[in-house]
Amino acid sequence: MKRKNSVLSFAGVVFCLLLLLLFNKTFDSYKMRIFNLCAIYITLGLSLNLVNGFTGLFSLGHAGFMAVGAYTCALLTLSPANKEMNFFLQPILPFLANTEWPFFPALLVSGLCAAIIGFLIAAPVLRLKDDYLAIATLGFSEIIRVIFTNTQRLTNGALGLKGLPNYTNVWWSWGVAALTIVFMIRLMRGSYGKALKSIREDEIAAEAMGIDVFRHKVISFTISSFFAGIGGALLGHLLGTIDPLMFRFLLTFNILLIVVLGGIGSITGTVIAAIVVTVLMEVLRVLDSSIDFGLFVMKGIPGLRMVIFSALLMAVILFYQRGLMGTNEFSWDSLGKRLRRIKKRGPK
Amino acid sequence: MKKTCTLLACGLLILAVFITGCSKDEGKEAEPEVIKIGVFEPMTGANAAGGAMEIEGVELANKLYPEVLGKKVELVIVDNKSDKVEAANAATRLVDKDKVTAIIGSWGSSFSMAAGPIVQNSQVPTVGASCTNPLVTKGNEYYFRVCFIDPFQGTVMANYAYNELGARKTAIVQEISNDYSVGLAKFYTDAFKALTGDEKAILGVANYNTGDQDFTAQLTNLKQLNPDVIFAPGNYTESALLVKQARELGITIPILGGDTWEAPEFLDIGKAAVEGSVFSTFFTTEVPITQESEKFLEEYRKAYGKEPASVTALGYDAYLVILDAIKRAGSFDRVAIRDAIAETSDFPGAAGIISLDENGDAVKSAVIKQVKDGGFVYLTTVEPIK
Repeated sequence: MKRKNSVLSFAGVVFCLLLLLLFNKTFDSYKMRIFNLCAIYITLGLSLNLVNGFTGLFSLGHAGFMAVGAYTCALLTLSPANKEMNFFLQPILPFLANTEWPFFPALLVSGLCAAIIGFLIAAPVLRLKDDYLAIATLGFSEIIRVIFTNTQRLTNGALGLKGLPNYTNVWWSWGVAALTIVFMIRLMRGSYGKALKSIREDEIAAEAMGIDVFRHKVISFTISSFFAGIGGALLGHLLGTIDPLMFRFLLTFNILLIVVLGGIGSITGTVIAAIVVTVLMEVLRVLDSSIDFGLFVMKGIPGLRMVIFSALLMAVILFYQRGLMGTNEFSWDSLGKRLRRIKKRGPK
Repeated sequence: MKKTCTLLACGLLILAVFITGCSKDEGKEAEPEVIKIGVFEPMTGANAAGGAMEIEGVELANKLYPEVLGKKVELVIVDNKSDKVEAANAATRLVDKDKVTAIIGSWGSSFSMAAGPIVQNSQVPTVGASCTNPLVTKGNEYYFRVCFIDPFQGTVMANYAYNELGARKTAIVQEISNDYSVGLAKFYTDAFKALTGDEKAILGVANYNTGDQDFTAQLTNLKQLNPDVIFAPGNYTESALLVKQARELGITIPILGGDTWEAPEFLDIGKAAVEGSVFSTFFTTEVPITQESEKFLEEYRKAYGKEPASVTALGYDAYLVILDAIKRAGSFDRVAIRDAIAETSDFPGAAGIISLDENGDAVKSAVIKQVKDGGFVYLTTVEPIK
């Protein structure tokens, strides 16, 4: 049974790779952009899920860590000529003026920077619980944004940066997403993952069993910030421009939406929800323009797309109260069981 | 059972959406005698009001000038949700899916910047209406705009303060989280220093954030410096509160601002306190600048029954500039249209005579207005520095 499953998994991975190749060949840049966004949101969703879902800490600071990652990566990879163009109000700090790194090290450093900030914030903030933790992390993410707005010579302030090289392609975005998925699965299966889940279920019981609660929380928070930083950097390089206003708390809520919709504490759920939300937002665009029903033409109402999107969200949450997947994960065994059940029901 | 039924209903709803979406696309292919101009604007979210005003202008222009080179012009309007990621998606959609000939947009420089690399790579000429951040067009040969940019507006106000008000010392209050305000303050500073020849002509700069309510700390500090005039560009809500609080603190010197002040909210919040405030803007309804302005004013009042905002006139102009370029290019080739737009000079638009400089920014006259008796009154027109 186990052997059969790993063969199936291997086949699944090969199938996904082929699919990537196929999409890379056939998609135009519009579909490609949506496809890349799906992968970036998977990375971001999984990193938030690690804290909110698996460790049970309600954090709302994700946008702040994304901002740290995006700005670090942008400042490291921007060419000196582009930097000069961007910083026309005040010159850039001299030590950054001539750095032009390749993408990979810049991406790693941006993740590390976000992780360091996450680590520093974790120490005071994680003494709080529930709503208070949410407020404190939200506050910290806003502080990061306000600092970036005011450091004119480091981040170009409210003007933002443009001309970021378009490094984010299907291999980077989906490569990072796949790595994140594998990392999260390995982490959750190991002793750290079990410890994190036990903290989520009952902190006092976990402590009684000899788990260093505070240390585990800090580790979870730092890892989450690391991936948030990398996701932010990828997003910045997909857009080619960033500014502080982009990293408002609304961005955190977009990702929180993905996590909650997929199921708080489910890797599979986050992956599914990230893809569904990103694709649905674009598909529903037809609602905004005028629709020809044959008999009559309905004039487009701007914003109708958002109404339908919200209605669909509510419908899903009403029927799946714990998100699409709850805390369940995808496995070949459960899929097999489900298929067999459908088969049994079939002939009746 | 109930659950399955509901799910089925949901599924059907989505399916219906897909089908209507598809059938619409087929309908479009049946009539190739149409050229498409894409418009991406914030129609939902925080900046929806601004986007709606620009769309009014573009739609009015489309109604008055529905044809070019014998082909019907169709507008494809997409929403960017006041969100940078969505703005990039919307622009890519216009380019790849709708295959538009040119693009207009967007309110908010940040969203325009997100579309920048996309229109540049796919070579679609794009004209912004009211995005004033210099970075939008800088280094992007496919992005243009029909409004003047912060350097000019800052310079205009510095000149006004120096020549008309006889000011020699200025204090500045800027909205630090707003690219527009920061840019304006910077260029005002440069111009004012050059005019007075005094490096210390700017006595102090105070900052505030978008959404702030209390400015008494900043204003008390500035009051002690004893300036001749205060320059305070920023959002209308914050600015109105700021002027109000300044008057309450006994600051009687003139307070100057930028084009964002021209909003009914500015008067509603500020009431009597904002009387006498002076600001620069693009356009005035009192003194039509060109023949096109008269036509625009008349048609707008007829269609909407109110006075147009200046960004509406700019949206109108963006459409006209593109149409004019297509006529001059004599083809629908995007690169030819781009070259024609770049050559635009002395084009009579509704909001002034437009000439585009080498960056793709409009060089045009500015209007200075004052708040008087609870309304905006035209003071003077400032010609561009060529």
